[in-house]
Amino acid sequence: MDHQQEYDDVLRARFTKWLDTVIYRAKLKYLRKTETKLDTVSLEELPERILPVYEDDLRQIDSMDAFAFEEERLADAFANLPIKRQRILTMLFVEERKPEEIAKELNCSPQHVYDQRYHALKKLRTELMEEGDGR
Amino acid sequence: MNPEEFGKILEEATLGSHQALERIFELYDPLISKHCRIDGKIDEDLKQYILIHIALNISKFDI
Repeated sequence: MDHQQEYDDVLRARFTKWLDTVIYRAKLKYLRKTETKLDTVSLEELPERILPVYEDDLRQIDSMDAFAFEEERLADAFANLPIKRQRILTMLFVEERKPEEIAKELNCSPQHVYDQRYHALKKLRTELMEEGDGR
Repeated sequence: MNPEEFGKILEEATLGSHQALERIFELYDPLISKHCRIDGKIDEDLKQYILIHIALNISKFDI
């Protein structure tokens, strides 16, 4: 066996050992990654009774206004607000528009928008607290 | 493949030749597949991960 062939054999053996180590480390890394993943279950596999939203609820949500109300009494309190204040709250919190933009559209000052927001929220808070105490 | 040929292919693979890298993958498929067996079956995702890992690291092998 000449020197070159000996060198090539040693190279191959060295590479095989190196590759074995690289593969082993990659495998450990992969397994660690996949172990930390949370198990997921598709919606179809879940029993219907534990699903939080049913078809009736979906229909109700569809028929609601822009606000997705969590509580019916909040919806009632909102409905009792003057139309202009309802519109301002919707633009502020649902459409996420700036008071300055709203002021331009409603042809009023930004301060007026802030005032309307303040009074509307105060009214909602008061109504909800009153109803809450009454229950 | 004789040892001389192997040395040449390995060198090319470390220098970034895709063809040479594929030859290395073919040559070492039994070793790679051995590591990819989980519960007796080859995990294709793991195999893919290992192949990418080799491709990214082969340039670090000092010839």
